[in-house]
Amino acid sequence: MVATRGRVGPTPACPVVVELPPPPVDELDETTLVVRAQEGDVRAFETLARRHQAALYRLAVRVMGDPAEAEDALQEALLDAWRRIGRFRGDSAFSTWMYRIVTNRCVAILRRRRPMPVEVDDTAAAPDSPARAVELDAEMAALGRALSGLRDDLRICWVLRELEGLGYTEIAEITGAGVDAVRGRIHRARTRLAEVMRPWR
Amino acid sequence: MAVNRLSGSDLHGASEWGSESLACGRDAATAWDRAEVGVTPDEHERGCPHCAAAFADARRLDSVVHRMSNADVEPPPSVMDRVMAAVRTDLRPHDLLALDSPHGPARLSRPAAAAVLRNVVDRMGGVRARSCRIEQLDGRDDADVTITVTARFGVDLASVTARVRQMVLAAGEQALGVPVRRVDIEVVDVFDSSVDGAVDGAGGGKDGRR
Repeated sequence: MVATRGRVGPTPACPVVVELPPPPVDELDETTLVVRAQEGDVRAFETLARRHQAALYRLAVRVMGDPAEAEDALQEALLDAWRRIGRFRGDSAFSTWMYRIVTNRCVAILRRRRPMPVEVDDTAAAPDSPARAVELDAEMAALGRALSGLRDDLRICWVLRELEGLGYTEIAEITGAGVDAVRGRIHRARTRLAEVMRPWR
Repeated sequence: MAVNRLSGSDLHGASEWGSESLACGRDAATAWDRAEVGVTPDEHERGCPHCAAAFADARRLDSVVHRMSNADVEPPPSVMDRVMAAVRTDLRPHDLLALDSPHGPARLSRPAAAAVLRNVVDRMGGVRARSCRIEQLDGRDDADVTITVTARFGVDLASVTARVRQMVLAAGEQALGVPVRRVDIEVVDVFDSSVDGAVDGAGGGKDGRR
């Protein structure tokens, strides 16, 4: 871990009085971890990334509708976070900043994507894939298909609101849209989904 | 119906970017949010067909949306493995401290040196290192250390900072081989030992970074 060329000074002999084992890094508060990561501390960054990866992946899976693409989005987003963490100023919560990075990655991947097939085949995913495993529930699978039929910006706002439980202001910060536009997109997404899902009740 | 009203307004581009109103004038998103959290409809909502339709749509979707939001979706561990492998090879190799050595020039990674000093502080108990910057003036072997710490609520800050200074001076010399000329210490936050994290709003709080 100590990258050196040549000698690293005298061997640490006695005098550093060690009183306690260090607190595990995963018990540290988020601000401390962020500052350490900004100063190049890889372990602090890893702890932050591990804390946030599940939420970021959840968002990516629901926005992309595809676990493999969601993995790509998550991986690229975490690397972006490492490269850019020095520019995080704490104007928003760290989680908001991370959501923004993964959202941007999802948008970039969606733009590169070939036009989606009109009809998504229900059996397209392998039977043992994560998407299948969580969506044995047929109604939820139908909701997933309805979601993938929404325009990207509507879907992103809806997922942030309804699945991640975020407020309108935070979603505006993440997507870069105004709060009114966010409210409009979420409402349009909700009513479209309600229409598509009407046969289920 | 809420849906009909919305489809109608879709024809007018302006609503695309603004928030939606129901035909009764109520904000559509707010009506839906109220239905979702399960508030009792107010007098208007009980009598209004547009609000009633929004409430009905929201409640119809509620359970499946909840199941989707609670579904256990975990990223495969290989993602973090790949990310951390890339991060470790991405370390800036030129961010180095110079060490005084009679046997030739030596360099020490600055983040690694900072990690050593933080670790020493963390082990003291009652105090955690946050920022740790080590600056060497051009052509000099000794360094100035600027460190920010958080302290457990109730500890004697004067004695803690004195001990932090001693420990950093000793560790610089003994563990790093970098004589420390000056140590600036700032207590930027306090943490509560019961939750073991920084107390929000105390000291620097969330914005207390330097």
